[in-house]
Amino acid sequence: MAAGNRFWARFLIPGGGWLLLLFAVPLGLTVAVSFGTTNELGLPIYGWHPGNYSHVFDPLFAPVLVRSVLYALATVALCLLIGYPVAYTIARFGGRHKNVLIVLIVLPFFVNYLVRTYAWVTILSDDGLLNGILGHVGIAPIRFLNTPYAVIGGLTYGYLAFMILPIYAALDRMDPAVIEAGKDLYGTPARTFWHVTWPTTFQGVLAGTVLVFLPAVGDFVSAQLLGGPDTFMVGNLISQQFYSAQNWPFGSTLTVVLMAFLML
Amino acid sequence: MSMDSWDRPLTRRSLIRGGAGLALGTSLGGALSACGVGNQSVKKSATEKHVRAKVDGDLVYFNWTEYLDPALIKGFEKHYGVKVTQSNYDSMEGMMAKLNSGNVYDLIFPSAEYVDRLRKANRLLQIDHTQLKNASEVFDFSPYFQNPWYDPQSAHSVPYAMYTTGIAWRADKVSNMTGSWADLWDPQAKGKIFVLDDYQEGVGMANLRNGFDLNTTDPDQLGKAQQLLIGQKPLLRGYSSDTITNMVSGNAWIQHIWNGDIVNVRNQVKHPENYKFELAKEGTPLGSDTFAIPTNAAHPGTALLFIDWMLDPAHAAKNINWVGYPMPNKGGYPAFSALVKDEPSINVTVDQIQASDKYQYRDLDRTGLTRWNDVWTAVKAA
Repeated sequence: MAAGNRFWARFLIPGGGWLLLLFAVPLGLTVAVSFGTTNELGLPIYGWHPGNYSHVFDPLFAPVLVRSVLYALATVALCLLIGYPVAYTIARFGGRHKNVLIVLIVLPFFVNYLVRTYAWVTILSDDGLLNGILGHVGIAPIRFLNTPYAVIGGLTYGYLAFMILPIYAALDRMDPAVIEAGKDLYGTPARTFWHVTWPTTFQGVLAGTVLVFLPAVGDFVSAQLLGGPDTFMVGNLISQQFYSAQNWPFGSTLTVVLMAFLML
Repeated sequence: MSMDSWDRPLTRRSLIRGGAGLALGTSLGGALSACGVGNQSVKKSATEKHVRAKVDGDLVYFNWTEYLDPALIKGFEKHYGVKVTQSNYDSMEGMMAKLNSGNVYDLIFPSAEYVDRLRKANRLLQIDHTQLKNASEVFDFSPYFQNPWYDPQSAHSVPYAMYTTGIAWRADKVSNMTGSWADLWDPQAKGKIFVLDDYQEGVGMANLRNGFDLNTTDPDQLGKAQQLLIGQKPLLRGYSSDTITNMVSGNAWIQHIWNGDIVNVRNQVKHPENYKFELAKEGTPLGSDTFAIPTNAAHPGTALLFIDWMLDPAHAAKNINWVGYPMPNKGGYPAFSALVKDEPSINVTVDQIQASDKYQYRDLDRTGLTRWNDVWTAVKAA
């Protein structure tokens, strides 16, 4: 028995090593740097400077964090609203095309998120594709780009698949017979959905919510490219510390605090 | 994408600026974790290695995005039978971050204040001008660069190009430009104004508008800059250094811009005559970029050959037409003057650079740098 356990435990080595190398070590470095300071060249120097942490609680940064969380929540809501019907349709009515449809959902992910976001810049510009079409039907150019809506739209577009896939998995696992049972018991489609389908797939929704919320709250691409003067997110704040401010220690501090916050 | 599709002239600090930075950003975490943090100090003797201009391997080249004619790189590869590996940065800070995380490059293009910082930290190899056949092309053209403030005797750098920061506007959309930085507050263009997403240019512009020294680190004066910039936010469309995209897409009517970018905007629009450029009367930042070789370069000999290649008059002239920024040398400068002869405000002369020391960004000390960045962060976060 013990020997068997030891044998199987060996299978943990690659995964454990992977986690150690690519998660624990970088995280440790980040934490170490977060207590550091910088030299004249902007190089981090390790040390004990807890002042970085008190700086995080500067009231200046509170609106940035609140904004990031609100954008991420809006993104989750939109992803759910769009993603659930898509997943439902594929799972219930996709038939033999299911796999093809899922591949089509994932396909855009083969193109870099950055490039796809740039495409939105072209589409949403004042003289862009969308306003060009609207212009033909006599609607004056609308400012889409550089607004909070564009940022949330960009986030929704970017992370939608993370919502669809877990919900699809949950729906696909669900036995369609339970829906038929609901109908047999004279449940309206709405009641059947609410009492049968939704609870059965709730785990998928929860997984999707987490998978969308976490990257969305720390995202900086969408706000950088699609945002305006008032859409600065915590991800932008962190990337600014690493780049323009050349203050890796404070950037690391922000990262550590954000991670701690997200774990709560 | 093949390089051939990039044959339209584009430029420094512009099109993919935001993009390259973001990509860089995502890889930074990896760099940080992979190498730990390169923290060793470099001895002065490391800068004194004598290098001869001859091929000692393939060139690892690190520059702004689209800040050098790719045809000249191809020509260099063919002529010397070497390969040029290109990497790009989207800001000087991005370049520093990559150098600091231990990456090795043979040739970089730091601007003046960064030459100052890097050379003081013994991060730049000394360049023996006698190794450059075309050294006279640049140093005889502009005696100023024989001994510039950022690098005595140009011992560690060779001038590449010059730039100035001004305001571009759409003559078909706005009518009341005043030739002042106040134009970036023009209510007529509300929601159509972009300020460069660059802490130096942002804070520097506010300092000039306030009538303070460009490089001030005085907390009160910087506080005023912060107030000024925060007050500007309701009028802005955004902070962006994608100046060409902003202008060409119609999103910007007024854009805080580097002079060469306007040349490139005009090359891409139907009515170039509507795209104007002005310099602010309160003063305008001027600067120069250089060729430099990091101390840890693996192929400094090839790097020297490349610098020499670019100083060749015919190559410099060719480069100007692609880049849109003036090069201070015998081949490049006349070509640029011809390019902008109708609008001398776009030009930058060596005399201007020489005469206006106070309009050049200095290498601030750590305290000053932190103060500037705190202002910029506060403005962005507000």
